[in-house]
Amino acid sequence: MHRADQQTQRQIADLVEACAGYWELRGITRASSTEMQLELEQHLQQAVSDGKSLEAVLGPNPLAFAEAWAREMHPRIFRGGAAALRGLVYVLSIVSTTALFSQLLVHSSAFTFSLFAAYLLIGSGLLALLLQLGGFLAPRISTRTGREALLLAGAVLAVLVLRLAGLTVNWSMALLSWSWPVTIVLLVLAVGLFTLDCWRTFNRAHTSPASTGWPALRAVTTFVASVGVFDVLLFVGSVAVFNVCRLALRLV
Amino acid sequence: MDTRSTQLLKGTLDMCLLATIAQRPCYGYEMVQQLAQQGLDLVSEGSIYPLLSRLQHLGYIEGYLVPSRDGPSRKYYRLLPAGAKQLERWQAEWEAFALAVERILKGAHADAQS
Repeated sequence: MHRADQQTQRQIADLVEACAGYWELRGITRASSTEMQLELEQHLQQAVSDGKSLEAVLGPNPLAFAEAWAREMHPRIFRGGAAALRGLVYVLSIVSTTALFSQLLVHSSAFTFSLFAAYLLIGSGLLALLLQLGGFLAPRISTRTGREALLLAGAVLAVLVLRLAGLTVNWSMALLSWSWPVTIVLLVLAVGLFTLDCWRTFNRAHTSPASTGWPALRAVTTFVASVGVFDVLLFVGSVAVFNVCRLALRLV
Repeated sequence: MDTRSTQLLKGTLDMCLLATIAQRPCYGYEMVQQLAQQGLDLVSEGSIYPLLSRLQHLGYIEGYLVPSRDGPSRKYYRLLPAGAKQLERWQAEWEAFALAVERILKGAHADAQS
């Protein structure tokens, strides 16, 4: 029996995380998913200690394994609504806070939501999802950097294909425009939905023996920090990113 | 393991798992080890988990967490009365099936010799 090296440990962690993300999307309850992750991680650790490969446990297609297990758990379709609610909370929070800061700093009565902002928002969401599910590639591409490079290469290739197909986009095109009252309504809605999501999550966490520490505080801090980071990226960085992207697309 | 053995194991894995758990409560990796000791090597070991979930859903087995001193709790499975009855039925079915196949094979062998 030998101890798995650091890289294999990371591969296991990424694989388990990818499975967890997939099971959440499939509507498996948090409690069941936690047990499934525990079983899978312990099995992988023990198999690797016995000199077996990750493929010996998960087969050639880890996604198929995750799906086969998810099917037998009889997921509730409605559970998918929980993931959708969290996504909606993030989108509303980012959009409303960006609008708020934008209107406060520029002293403008209206906020314009451009195509570029929508692209950045949707693109970041998709990228976050892909990076998590990218863990399914762990048995074949062992390093996280390698998997991220592959995803990035895929995104660049998609842009090149669109560019070569002659697609031109007006990134500054206004999709939506609204004034102060709408910003306030969006902000209140975001706070309300976030509270609802927190209440739902922690009501469930209280019944689980696995809940320790200050999960509510941690969740709120993580949420506020991630919305803040995205606001900075969207509001301050958008000008620079927009110009770099425009220049890059012009060069292609 | 060749394809025929893999297919045979696929069709009987739930029964083998139930029989393994019937001997004593055990966890996933232990089951794989016990199957391997009996000469049944799985192509992908993880394939036991969807089956264990199915058996659990059918009420044949029950999963429970056992706290560990060294690390996180481990999930064990134990047989339930409905599982014991189902195992008896599957065993009888398998014995009848295996006997029929054996008779056919013996017949074919005798024909080839005469």
